[in-house]
Amino acid sequence: THTMLPLLLLLLPAAHGIAQLRYRPALTKDPQLEGLTTASTFVLDQPRCVFDDYGNADIWLVVALEQAAFNNTAAPGTPETAFQGFPDRVRAYMTLNTTLVNYPCPKPDGDITVLRVGSETSCAQEPTRPTCNGPLPGPGPYWVKFLALEGSVPVAETAWSEPIILRTAKSPNSISTTGSGHSAGMIAITTILSILFAILLAGLVAMIIFWSSDSCSGSSTFSKPESVTVRRYNTHHVYDQPAARL
Amino acid sequence: MAKSDDCVHILQGLLVFGNVVIGMCGIALTAECIYFVSSPNGHYPLLKVTEDSDINAAAWIGIFVGLALFALSILGIIGVIKASRTLLLVYIILMLITFAFEMASCITAASHQDSLTPQLFLKQMLERYQKSEPANNSDNEVTKTWDELMLQNHCCGVLGPSDWQEYTSAFRLTHSDADYPWPRMCCVLNAQGLPDNLDGCKLGVPGYYNSNGCYDAISGPVNTHAWGVAWFGFAILCWTFCVLLGTMFYWSGIEY
Repeated sequence: THTMLPLLLLLLPAAHGIAQLRYRPALTKDPQLEGLTTASTFVLDQPRCVFDDYGNADIWLVVALEQAAFNNTAAPGTPETAFQGFPDRVRAYMTLNTTLVNYPCPKPDGDITVLRVGSETSCAQEPTRPTCNGPLPGPGPYWVKFLALEGSVPVAETAWSEPIILRTAKSPNSISTTGSGHSAGMIAITTILSILFAILLAGLVAMIIFWSSDSCSGSSTFSKPESVTVRRYNTHHVYDQPAARL
Repeated sequence: MAKSDDCVHILQGLLVFGNVVIGMCGIALTAECIYFVSSPNGHYPLLKVTEDSDINAAAWIGIFVGLALFALSILGIIGVIKASRTLLLVYIILMLITFAFEMASCITAASHQDSLTPQLFLKQMLERYQKSEPANNSDNEVTKTWDELMLQNHCCGVLGPSDWQEYTSAFRLTHSDADYPWPRMCCVLNAQGLPDNLDGCKLGVPGYYNSNGCYDAISGPVNTHAWGVAWFGFAILCWTFCVLLGTMFYWSGIEY
């Protein structure tokens, strides 16, 4: 239906002559940006070479929580489209207005041409700045489109973008710091050292028993020849006295 | 007997050699542990704050164990040469006590090195970095350490700048997401210490912000430290085991 609609509108007399441009705003793909979406901002490509026929118009960005909430006849800078009322009273606001001068066509190579939606924090609470490009209040999803106004008459609009969802931050309490278990190295060290220590203790116990049992030297490889203990016998005559012995 | 005399001398020679090696290793262990304890790398505040100072305790034990090994190796050499049963018994008992301490130190170093996961540092960073009402001085130290870390190593966060986006943090409470998707230290800074291109940094344009995480820079020194204490100690203990077994064997053969 998106291709049918422009053809149909061209055939109609210019009563509601808002040109439907076949451009769909999108998040920037090139270059890769780390901050493409954050918790309160997102980054769009600038609409280069899109509004070339409308050199006299102001080009506005419409950010909406519901596509149906925005009427093209709404005027920027009024309370119905003021950023400060978003999202409670106002379901779609208009911001980031500029003229075609700032979107020269073609885009020079190597230039980064982006729009950061949500970057103005100073005017977020200022009702005197209804077209503030303030930080977005929640994760969305949001739909955006560009609208060209000549004076207060809308003359061209792009298609609505795909829904844009921002990041939600988790609490650090959700990070589990219980260890990932013990590594193989630590288990190997513990096991091997315990075994070695047990062997040494057993050896020590054996040594102490060995010493206190006062036995002969066990190992024969290097023991010196045993000193023979000689018993001394009393060798005086023993008279036979069978009667005294029993 | 000539043969048994030779065997005695060979065993004595081996034991003396073993004890000399133990003595030298003891000195090396002491030197290594003194180096780790007084190490100039500034990650110690991070470790201290994680209440995980056991790696440092392991290093302190290592210092004393090293000195004990050196002293006992001298005692052992004297005992072997004099073939004195008492001296060698004292030597063996004291060596076993030193063995036990060094074993504890190795196991502590190895198991605590396992517990230093990225998640531990991530949680600590999110909870304490730039905390607006620092509960005690260690919170300030954490902030200072992280700022230095990110500046010197050109890194951001633990796993990357998206750490600051994925989780809420103490930093996020005082710095709005639109103005500070990540701390200014994550930006590429010029000579004056200001971001080269603030918009580029906030957008996350490659070249204007630090895209890697700092975990590699933290874990490198910590790992070397822990493995140095753990595995070198393990090697010394294996050698000591052999020497002690040999000494016990020699002891049991000395005539009473």
